[in-house]
Amino acid sequence: MSIDRLLPEDGCPAGPLMNTRRDVLRAFSCGFGWLAFRGLSGFESVLPQEDPLAPKPPHFPARAKRVIFLCMSGGPSHVDTFDYKPGLKADHGKAPSGRTRAGAKLFASPWEFRQSGQSGLWISELFPELGKLADKLCLLRGMHTDLPAHPQAALKLHTGSFQFVRPSLGAWTLYGLGTMNRNLPGFVTINPPSGQGGAQNYGSAFLPAIYQGLRTGGDRGAGMAARGEAREPVANIDNSRLSDAAQRRQLDLSGALNAERKRQDRQESGVEGVIQSFELAFRMQAEIPELLDLDKEPASVRTEYGLDDDETRGFGTECLMARRLAEKGVRFIEVNRGSWDQHRNLREDLARNARAIDRPIAALLRDLDRRGLLADTLVLWGGEFGRTPYAQGNDGRDHNHKGFTTWMAGGGVKGGFSYGATDDHGIEAVDGRTSIHDWHSTILHLLGLDHEKLTYRHAGRDFRLTDVHGTPIRDILA
Amino acid sequence: MRPTAHTWIVLICAAWPLLAQERRGQELENLLKRLDKDGDGRISAGEFPRGEERFRRLDRNRDGFLSRDDFPNVPGAKPEETAKPAAKEAAEPANFGEPTPADLDFFEKKIRPVLVKSCYSCHSVDSPKLRGGLRVDSREALLLGGASGPSVVPGDADASLLLKAMRYEHEELRMPPKGKLGDEVIADFERWIKMGAPDPRRDANPAAMPGAEEATATYRTIDIAKGKEFWAYRSPTAPAVPSVKNSNWPLNPIDHFVLAELEERSMAPAKDADKRVWIRRLSFDLRGLPPTPEEIEQFLKDQTPEAFEKIVDQYLASPAYGERWGRHWLDVARYAESSGKETNILFPQAWRYRDYVIDAFNADKPYDRFLTEQLAGDLLPTDDPDEQAQNLIATGFLAIGAKSLNTRDPRQFAMDLADEQIDTTTQAMLGVTVACARCHDHKFDPIPTEDYYALAGVFLSTETCYGTPRVQGSNHPRDLLKLPWTADVPDGPTMAREQRLVLTRLKERGEAQLSGEAPARRRPGQEQTPAGETPKPATPEERRQQQFRERTVRQQVGMLEDLLSRFDENGNPRPENRMAMGVREADRPRNAPLLERGELEKAKAPVARGFPQVLSGPLTPAIKKGSGRRELAAWITAPDNPLTARVMVNRIWLHLFGTGIVATPDNLGMSGQTPSHPELLDWLATTFVADGWSVKQMIKRVVLSRAYRMDSEFHPQYAEQDPEGIYLWRMPKRRLEGEAIRDAMLAVSGTLDAKRPVGSPVGTFEGQLRRQELGADPLSSLGPVRSVYLPILRDRVPEALDVFDFADPSFVTGDREETNVATQALYLMNDPEVMRTADAMAARLVRDGKTDDDRIRLGFALALGRSPSSQELATCREFLRQAGKDQKPVEAPPRRRRGAARRAETPPAADPKLAPWSSFCQALFQTAEFRYVD
Repeated sequence: MSIDRLLPEDGCPAGPLMNTRRDVLRAFSCGFGWLAFRGLSGFESVLPQEDPLAPKPPHFPARAKRVIFLCMSGGPSHVDTFDYKPGLKADHGKAPSGRTRAGAKLFASPWEFRQSGQSGLWISELFPELGKLADKLCLLRGMHTDLPAHPQAALKLHTGSFQFVRPSLGAWTLYGLGTMNRNLPGFVTINPPSGQGGAQNYGSAFLPAIYQGLRTGGDRGAGMAARGEAREPVANIDNSRLSDAAQRRQLDLSGALNAERKRQDRQESGVEGVIQSFELAFRMQAEIPELLDLDKEPASVRTEYGLDDDETRGFGTECLMARRLAEKGVRFIEVNRGSWDQHRNLREDLARNARAIDRPIAALLRDLDRRGLLADTLVLWGGEFGRTPYAQGNDGRDHNHKGFTTWMAGGGVKGGFSYGATDDHGIEAVDGRTSIHDWHSTILHLLGLDHEKLTYRHAGRDFRLTDVHGTPIRDILA
Repeated sequence: MRPTAHTWIVLICAAWPLLAQERRGQELENLLKRLDKDGDGRISAGEFPRGEERFRRLDRNRDGFLSRDDFPNVPGAKPEETAKPAAKEAAEPANFGEPTPADLDFFEKKIRPVLVKSCYSCHSVDSPKLRGGLRVDSREALLLGGASGPSVVPGDADASLLLKAMRYEHEELRMPPKGKLGDEVIADFERWIKMGAPDPRRDANPAAMPGAEEATATYRTIDIAKGKEFWAYRSPTAPAVPSVKNSNWPLNPIDHFVLAELEERSMAPAKDADKRVWIRRLSFDLRGLPPTPEEIEQFLKDQTPEAFEKIVDQYLASPAYGERWGRHWLDVARYAESSGKETNILFPQAWRYRDYVIDAFNADKPYDRFLTEQLAGDLLPTDDPDEQAQNLIATGFLAIGAKSLNTRDPRQFAMDLADEQIDTTTQAMLGVTVACARCHDHKFDPIPTEDYYALAGVFLSTETCYGTPRVQGSNHPRDLLKLPWTADVPDGPTMAREQRLVLTRLKERGEAQLSGEAPARRRPGQEQTPAGETPKPATPEERRQQQFRERTVRQQVGMLEDLLSRFDENGNPRPENRMAMGVREADRPRNAPLLERGELEKAKAPVARGFPQVLSGPLTPAIKKGSGRRELAAWITAPDNPLTARVMVNRIWLHLFGTGIVATPDNLGMSGQTPSHPELLDWLATTFVADGWSVKQMIKRVVLSRAYRMDSEFHPQYAEQDPEGIYLWRMPKRRLEGEAIRDAMLAVSGTLDAKRPVGSPVGTFEGQLRRQELGADPLSSLGPVRSVYLPILRDRVPEALDVFDFADPSFVTGDREETNVATQALYLMNDPEVMRTADAMAARLVRDGKTDDDRIRLGFALALGRSPSSQELATCREFLRQAGKDQKPVEAPPRRRRGAARRAETPPAADPKLAPWSSFCQALFQTAEFRYVD
């Protein structure tokens, strides 16, 4: 069977000349291709009525089209990074006010803060490169969350709930907006930790499985990153034996058998998820290998992202990958960097963490900007909570969920801006208090989605990412 | 394991776990005496507390009574032997009371000045470089000691290392190093220690840090008594079996509990599943393999009511059962063959523990005994070398965890190791997260920090033998346990010829370097030295570097020598390779000091070894000597421990119904979920104990219930009411684990090698994991063995398992995720092993089927356990017709891309005749039906 015979039947708009394998795969993957069996069976009736990944219009004009979430799990210390607290320095060694641990003593940041950019934002000397981009950053210094425990807080950050299995922010985004490139997963998470709630943090819960994040990088736990290793980003990306047409035919057969089964038990998202995963996998084969081949990047860009330095290579690679994914239309990209849990050894470990991310993130922001992508890409930075301004031991800080800092950049937020504040010492958010629900609603708002209207009916009721809470922060909108 | 010898152990363990540690014969006599209420010297059925069935089994001579004669395998009671001199017990810090002013005066005059003058420069908080991890500038620091153990044991001068060092008794440990102090001074110290080492210096470190003088204040005080009121911390009692309206439905008590909950919510259970559906479910659940077409036929033909039980018994008796259920335990035991974390050093002998677990499940080793062996197998008395070997291997449970072997501080390493052991033991066996209490009182459960350190003392008094050599990045070399030479255990895997050659060459090159014959490999940029001339290090820095290089090479050569010495010239393992990971008692037991906020610098007074108070009851043993692991095991397996049995039956339930009665199987504590069927959970737990902790019995009960027989049919109204199916209005559909998917592919293709491979490919390596050392594909050398035998390296889990949500081996994982994502699809579309397996299945179909329709039907029967519908048959025919025309690739695809290069082998194109069939078989593997059980 020739390709030409297949095309008109499928009604695919691709041109008649398809020289590359990519073209062929694209042509084959328009819609669901039960080409071989159409008319033979009554399967059409159970095929998806509409493509769940098709782009959908937002509720109102969007300021950002895509998200890159730089997730710092472990709880980065805000008072050493982005929350400047002269009061903490002045009161070093004193007991903090308010209800804190008995006997706690305030612990001034070992690092100096500097005013940077036109805006004069105070940023820690830990981030010399990011400091230069202060005018792009929008600091949220009044963040707070529910619980000072990692898995719970990480789940809250990603799904809005630590008690129940709920879809993640990325899944909601993809559900709300669809994808801009059907040959790629719409939600990719790079090197997510396997602990801290695991796959739930990029899961789709009751949303259709197609919305769950694709995990790449294969780093499970901090081990590989610590050893500076990386795994094949996506394994088994091509077939050594079957032609594309032959493979398409094979998937049509398994797809037809799946469709038959789906007809029998309608409500099984499992079958639907399997069907979708194969269709996506087939399409991914066209794009992924080239996309993740960072050798294609010019040496200057690789250097900018820190790929030639042991300390920055790991995270730099991931940031560069994130930019390439963003460029290709992936809707939600999460880049993970763990080990921010400095109960001890703060001076050494926090500095090392900062070095590992400072250059790569600065490069990412500059690179997006150069390509005109920063204007409609929302970059998020933050962890599940912050750390106590008072000391734990003589070189550490404990978990602090009452006040911490995250930041945004790009897509529709004010640059060189700071919103919200903690008290004089940085213990508790007192001004512009931003809950995780507020944060989520703001992100959705920037994407043109009304967090109260973005609902999914499950078990007899409409669910939202923000449950019954959340108010978008209007003050930070550009 | 010999089942005969175990029957009575079951009984004894179930009732009096502590007894299992006494001598067998004596133990039996005592037991019989206790049960013999009327004193006639024998036990009647009425006097026997463990049910008739068991009574009949024990009554070998069928005289209707149990007596000494019924236990011919138990050696006769011997007079109480004097206990073997156990490891020397350090004196517990005796209670010396508050020091008197006179005591303190003695300290100030005679002791403190010496410490300050002779010791502080290297052993105080102000020392520029702290030596041996030891500080002597506070009482806590002295009690905690340094790398070599506690420095001072109050009251016991001979046990105090400080004094030993001062006396210059020890070869290496001589303090102060510049010269021995005067005898008079030493006598003062001896007297001071005998006084109880009165010392007013509290651990405070004012200069270093604000907050150093913090009180031991905690966030809140924990009310243990109140904590015990929580459901999970109360011992389960057998609840009454509830009555139900639809009394025809239940087949056994389990069904009463399930139905009662449904009826309360006005729901009805689903109809019975088709027998084909049921046997497929059962086969995967019990063996992790699909039922063979013959088994299905046989089962369908058998119309007797016993048909169900027959096939259950058959599957439980199959070795595949242990491979399936052993793997469930390995998830919980975070089994892996490398250290993970920063350096990922290999554990070449870990596989022995894996095999032990599989064998234990197959032999239905009583669960309490199973746990006891894993915690304290080395301490269980036995004269049987086979049993001794198994007992030692079992303790591998404590040794196989992830480790940061590059940690520098030995005390930090020891505390982290103990922490990992506490974390795993308490989550795996008790379903509580005790390790949360390392730095602060547990934030949810009534577990104060003291309880954590009470348990830490047990593990700190234990030597963990994980057997990694000293190489770069591995700073804490340890031995392995030697297995008895006469025991029936394999020597190990065979080393491939090529590997032996490579390793030998590596070793020789290293030796040549050391002897100066070959120059060390030069780094680029370094000057070239003329041949034959040994470069002379010029600067001290260069000298230092050269010494470092030499040390590294020497370590590597040593490691290779050791490795190669354990295999003969043909690569066969020598008996020297009979070693196992595991634990043994430390030279001297010690109590762990409470470390405030988990910090070594903040050591408080030691906490006596013991167990979490909230989980302790009248049967909780006290630790009198040794590490306390025997007591730990006895405490965990005590019948009044509220959690152990509940946790295990919940795990069993989870693997049969997809979700546990408590949905968080590793956390039954206050931050875990509450049980959906609390009475059922307690009924199962108490029944489990009454059954003599038999896992097979419990599984059998559950799978023979009506609840397990339900169909998975969808019910829209119930789905609204109970979307998660918590109340079991149907059997949930479950996705198979990666192991079952791979094994099923191999099984239906006829290529599965059911034999257990000897050892693991990892067993012929040592040192740090590097890809090139393991070869491109360590799996292919194993062939189509069951997936449980694939090497499990941390951060390098085989692709086939990893994509299907394998349990991360760095964590206790009672419940795996179930995702359906594109990476799985890519694996089933493109993985070479999948394609080779499809080829084999295709050959089988073509060989065994006469017509195409025959072959299609056989394919469906093998892969899906059913016949195709006429429509499916037509679809498949059409597929084969089209695929048959498409012999050549439509295009010559540019198949060498990133990712492809890594693959060691590309399967050859299938035989043209078979190609369409191979693609057909692969399509069957790809269906949702193949990976789901209904």
